[in-house]
Amino acid sequence: MALEDYKNDMEGCSRCSSCKWIPFNQVKSWRFAHNCPAISRYNLHAYSGSGKMIMGLSMLTGRSELNESIMDIIFTCQLCGACDTACKVYRDDIDLMDVLLELRTHCVEEGELVIEHMATIDALKRENNMLGEKKEARGDWADGLPVKDINQETVDVLFHAGCRYSYDQDSREALRGIVKLLVDSGVDVGIAGASETCCGGRAYKFGYQGEAENYADDMLSRVKSSGASLLVTPCADGYSAFNYLYPRMKKELPVEVLHISQYLERLLKNGEINLKNNVPRKVTYHDPCYLGRMGEPYLGDWQDSKLLRPMSMKRAGRNGVYDTPRDIIKQIPALELVEMERIREYSWCCGAGGGVWEAYPDFAVWTASERIEEALSTGADTLVTSCPWCLRVFREALAETEKDLRIMDISELFLESAGICSPATLKGGGAL
Amino acid sequence: MDKNYEQFWEKVTNLLGAERVYTSDKMLDSFRASDPEVDGNPLALLKPESGSQIPDLMKLAREEKVNLVYCSSSTPRFRGDTVPKGDGVIVDMSSLENIVRVDRRNKVALIEPGVTFPELISEVDKVGLKVLMPLLPRTGKSVLASYLEREPILIPKYHWDMTDPLLCTELVFGTGDKFRTGSAAGPGSLEQQWAVGGAQKNPLGPAQTDMARLVQGSQGTLAAVTWATVKLELKPTIHKFYFIPATDLSKLIEFAYKALRPKLGDEFFILNSYELSTLVGNEGSEIDKIADKQYPYTLVFAVAGYQHLPEKRVAYQEKDMARIAKEADVNITREVPGCSANRMASLVGGCSSPEYYKTKPRGAFREIFFLTTLDQANKYINIMHENLDKYDYPRERMGIYIQPIQHGRTVHVEFSLYYDPNIDSESKDLDNLYAEASESLASAGAFFSRPYGVWSDLAYRYCPDTVKALNKVKDILDPDHILNRGTLCFEEVK
Amino acid sequence: MISDEALGAFQVIVGEENVSREPAVLDTYAWQPTINDDPAKWVYRPVAVVLPGSTAEVQEVVKVCNKHGLKFKATTTGWGVYSGPTSDNVVQFDMRRMNKIIEIDEKNMYAVVEPYVTGAQLQAEAMKLGLNTHIIGAGPVCSPLASATSGWGVGWDCIYMSYSARNVLGVEWVLPDGELLYLGTPGSGSEWFCGDGPGPSLRGILRGTSGALGGHGVFTRCAIKLFNWPGPSELHTEGLLLDAQSEIPENIRFHMCFFPDRDKLADAVYEIGDAEIGYLATRVSPNVFLYGATPRLFRKLTRTSALRSLLSETLKWMFVIVLMGSSREEIEYQDAVVKKIVGDYKGFSLEMTEVPVIGPILPMNFLRVSAIPAIFRLGGLFTTALGRNETWDTQLDWAEVGEELRKRRIEQGEVLDDMGDNPFMALYENNTWSHCENIYQYDTRNEKHLEKLHTIFAESTIRAMEICQEPLSSFDWRVRKILGPLLYDYNYWQKQIAQSFGAEGAADTGMYCDEVDYDLSAGDPQLKEKLEKIIAEKK
Repeated sequence: MALEDYKNDMEGCSRCSSCKWIPFNQVKSWRFAHNCPAISRYNLHAYSGSGKMIMGLSMLTGRSELNESIMDIIFTCQLCGACDTACKVYRDDIDLMDVLLELRTHCVEEGELVIEHMATIDALKRENNMLGEKKEARGDWADGLPVKDINQETVDVLFHAGCRYSYDQDSREALRGIVKLLVDSGVDVGIAGASETCCGGRAYKFGYQGEAENYADDMLSRVKSSGASLLVTPCADGYSAFNYLYPRMKKELPVEVLHISQYLERLLKNGEINLKNNVPRKVTYHDPCYLGRMGEPYLGDWQDSKLLRPMSMKRAGRNGVYDTPRDIIKQIPALELVEMERIREYSWCCGAGGGVWEAYPDFAVWTASERIEEALSTGADTLVTSCPWCLRVFREALAETEKDLRIMDISELFLESAGICSPATLKGGGAL
Repeated sequence: MDKNYEQFWEKVTNLLGAERVYTSDKMLDSFRASDPEVDGNPLALLKPESGSQIPDLMKLAREEKVNLVYCSSSTPRFRGDTVPKGDGVIVDMSSLENIVRVDRRNKVALIEPGVTFPELISEVDKVGLKVLMPLLPRTGKSVLASYLEREPILIPKYHWDMTDPLLCTELVFGTGDKFRTGSAAGPGSLEQQWAVGGAQKNPLGPAQTDMARLVQGSQGTLAAVTWATVKLELKPTIHKFYFIPATDLSKLIEFAYKALRPKLGDEFFILNSYELSTLVGNEGSEIDKIADKQYPYTLVFAVAGYQHLPEKRVAYQEKDMARIAKEADVNITREVPGCSANRMASLVGGCSSPEYYKTKPRGAFREIFFLTTLDQANKYINIMHENLDKYDYPRERMGIYIQPIQHGRTVHVEFSLYYDPNIDSESKDLDNLYAEASESLASAGAFFSRPYGVWSDLAYRYCPDTVKALNKVKDILDPDHILNRGTLCFEEVK
Repeated sequence: MISDEALGAFQVIVGEENVSREPAVLDTYAWQPTINDDPAKWVYRPVAVVLPGSTAEVQEVVKVCNKHGLKFKATTTGWGVYSGPTSDNVVQFDMRRMNKIIEIDEKNMYAVVEPYVTGAQLQAEAMKLGLNTHIIGAGPVCSPLASATSGWGVGWDCIYMSYSARNVLGVEWVLPDGELLYLGTPGSGSEWFCGDGPGPSLRGILRGTSGALGGHGVFTRCAIKLFNWPGPSELHTEGLLLDAQSEIPENIRFHMCFFPDRDKLADAVYEIGDAEIGYLATRVSPNVFLYGATPRLFRKLTRTSALRSLLSETLKWMFVIVLMGSSREEIEYQDAVVKKIVGDYKGFSLEMTEVPVIGPILPMNFLRVSAIPAIFRLGGLFTTALGRNETWDTQLDWAEVGEELRKRRIEQGEVLDDMGDNPFMALYENNTWSHCENIYQYDTRNEKHLEKLHTIFAESTIRAMEICQEPLSSFDWRVRKILGPLLYDYNYWQKQIAQSFGAEGAADTGMYCDEVDYDLSAGDPQLKEKLEKIIAEKK
């Protein structure tokens, strides 16, 4: 695809500004009505979903040219999808996210490159991960765990840890705990260890479609050779890549893909795990963009006018994973769930996505701080999420304040209640 | 006739006819007497017979630089806004007294300036409509004049905006240009509009100005009004009045806030003991006696039923009012000393008769009125009381009228100082009291939105930006300053 | 493009990141397809965009504009062609940084807001206090301040909460020369409760039927009336637009009323107005609900003659009224009155709150006016044609004019087929007067549709004039010279005001008082003849 292919979408923008707000039926206060971190921070219309589309149209029609400033605006965006969801409350004929993604590809193709992204991609090519860490160390997190190596044997369930989880020390215990839980529950699970590579999802968002496709091919062959019928990942980015991006790139994985929360819920339903320990916290749950609205599976191509596209083929975030983590939380004894105002399809982004963490860290932390404020406004003592990138940026943002709030992964709560890990060993756990 | 204006007299006589130009002292005296502080010199009284004469009159006045002061109500007049400052010619529009059209379906009447309240009430009553009334206007009061002055009406739920109940107008600016506001502007004549179902009900515009808003409250300094449409409402089929007497005004205010918010009630206002007694009593000593029996404050309200299920409407409103009364710890009654509910109903549905009610207690009065919010009313009453005390004016003999407007968002607060002009002790300090009280009220935040006389300096002192802007408007609409010169904040023509 | 000197001056005032003269960035303010009959959809590109963060900054940037011979135009959420520049050399002020609710005076029922507060935000906060705000028909994304001071202001809540122009209290106004003017009480230090006086009300130069659309300064604060909200402090809602399921307050009723013919609808609505009931009310065609909710199905329905007849004839005379009562007795009374009136006029009413799934969709979508933008779904865009808001009878006439014009366009394939009847009607202040605009649905990528937008504009303008209605386009510089003489030379007076207050050459007066020679008939001899006749008859 090229930018030209999205001209209809861009021309469809009526400039209503709905993309800057959570869907209006859900606005509960003045304070938490915004949905787009970029325009919330930088204010010029250009930073909104609509703004970027109009800039694309402007360039496409020769009214202006791509330059570093415009590139900067395009990439000062987490690609969180909130604008897309808000727009699609009313519009069937605009795929805003697709335009935003294509704009990035266009920038890369035109040589307008974000230096930090270049560095990340270079590192990715060398080390097969988005953190620039050594590829040999990718499997270190599993040292000593009685889990199968898919390079040695076939498995029913392939566990894909993902880049961030693989290297992030703060999440190590949780990650090990989850895999131990699966093994102890009798799941025939295996990992790729050091041979696991990035899903390529973030590379795609940086505008490097080619790289993403390479990693998709790699993943495809790994899955096939593992013999697995189910792929489970704790990484929301990975989940979205496998469920949406890969089919979109015509590289659909031949397995069922589940986020770890979905798999844990399945185990709970089957009675294979008990959540028996009290976890006396008041938590609020943050819906990660790429598990929620951007976690919606690929719905297929629609070739005709989008005005005629059926709802079932309009990707609007309705089929994201929202209830599963909540259902888990509700089953944990003594745990109270209070909701923030911006949740589900209209959740506020953590700030880390879309290459912002890499290139605009201040903006990422700003975005996360907004979310922390919102979490605190609920009276919760713990902010729970189910994405390692969310975890990381929330922890970074919290460290810059003196606010009293725990940041935890859903799996940490799960492990604590299941008795697999003690609170003290979990990053987000410990005495309140 | 003043020889300085010889050319003007000649032309105006040609325009209007000699029989419509009056110069006798008898005719002019009433334009001197109402405000002895104002050094006014009415030179003549003109009585045009048609609005179509006004543009030419304005042009004549421009040519000859004559000061025109428009009026439309008959005597007595009390506010001094029709007394010229310096030389001036009075243009009495009371001969324009047609009720041009009453439209039952659209609840509107098109009237000329000389139409009085009794005339309009009588006419619209025939089709089951009622006029939106201020509190007991005098019988000679022009309906248009009342609405142009932004006199508050008694029914807050019908007061959606400060222009209400005025709708569309035909204006003649001080330039001599005619202009119609609201949907009356057209396109098309009134007849053409009526033929397609128009009734001149939309008060806004045309386009991107609201000239009617400028002219309202302008005391005739920007334009003359030759006719207007006014909003009417259905005459209730059931109309019941109630009283809430109270010692503590704040409880009535609490009641008022709660009742007005869901637009309960029809007529709705608060009077203090003396003002209520002045309304209902016949003369001074009787009024004093009734006042002594009243609670310090009484809230008067009505509920009404209209065409459909009137009893049910009255029933729910009564119930809701009763609930609110309980919450506010007040009691609702159907009678107060000197006045039953039915008597109040007939009083407020009409005009003061035979004389203006405020002349009943002592023969004369001075009013101080301004806008504020209900929750501030007590503050201003206290300030007023302090001022009264300074001049030994008995608090219990001052009238207080509190009228919620704009659905209760704003209130008109009116203090009436009753005095006998023939008793020196009652009148000698009144001007000082009046001036000082006004000053202290303004400095505490009272908004003199209708700045008559000395209030003009007072009000505009606080808003120099408004003064600047208004003068720009004046220079557009009345560039030669022929309209009510010296009034409000308008600078002299250089 | 602005000079470096001007750019630098702006940057000093608002900060570097709040100014841009980057062409692509500026184009995000120049793309204005809504209610724009120019097929190109671009308006003039501003020469810069500036985001002031306070009244003082607004004053300063206005003065910089004055100094450098630049014009300026303020915009908020910016939806609509009137938000963008109308000529060269205009600096766009994006008011996004001024987004606070300064105060809500709960007892006296008003809020003081800055320009970028949206209807949704204000309503959410007001509801917590038992209050509500008028939200215009364009939806909750719009700025109440912009509507009240500078736009129009119709909505289906106008029956209870009036028109934006009527809801203005005190105003803070930065004039085209950068000086401050307060309207009403804030100018006298007396809170914000009244926008009129002392003496003449300067709200008279603020706006009329519409505002100056950015043509005479910048409004930095405005007090806006709030109204009673007898519902819960938050209407808990799950789901989004068409999936939304809201709790339904006990004291709400949602009547879809159908009448056998126009006369009965007309009379019934007059009586509803007389009865002083209703919280929201509108007349739209049933087609709107269908093409907003199920546009694909609707396209198929338009080809079915029986269904077409059912919707556009049998069920045509539909009136929707939402009732809310502050007490059980009140809601029962209102409900009984509606049923009685409907019965008296041989109609029938569906009370929807008890209907599963559909009932719960309605409260939030109507109360927050969230549903309105669903009308984009049919074609991606629409245009509208207003006549003069006036009596209910005249508005029904305008709806019929719209139907006639629309049907012709549909037959020619120049607009989308919405079955022909597509008015949006509302009542103001218990039907003191009322509103009708005729909606035309079109596909924004269809060249034939785009070409004909101008014809719709011209035809609607002329037909409105024909039935003594001031057209929507009275703000349009193309129409002023033609319409002015028929409306007491309104533009002359507006120009005088603009000149006197320094707007000319400073503010972007294109939609306030500029005028050009223009062939409204667009070369169509029939339209030309009609126009000449109207001018002769109605001058």
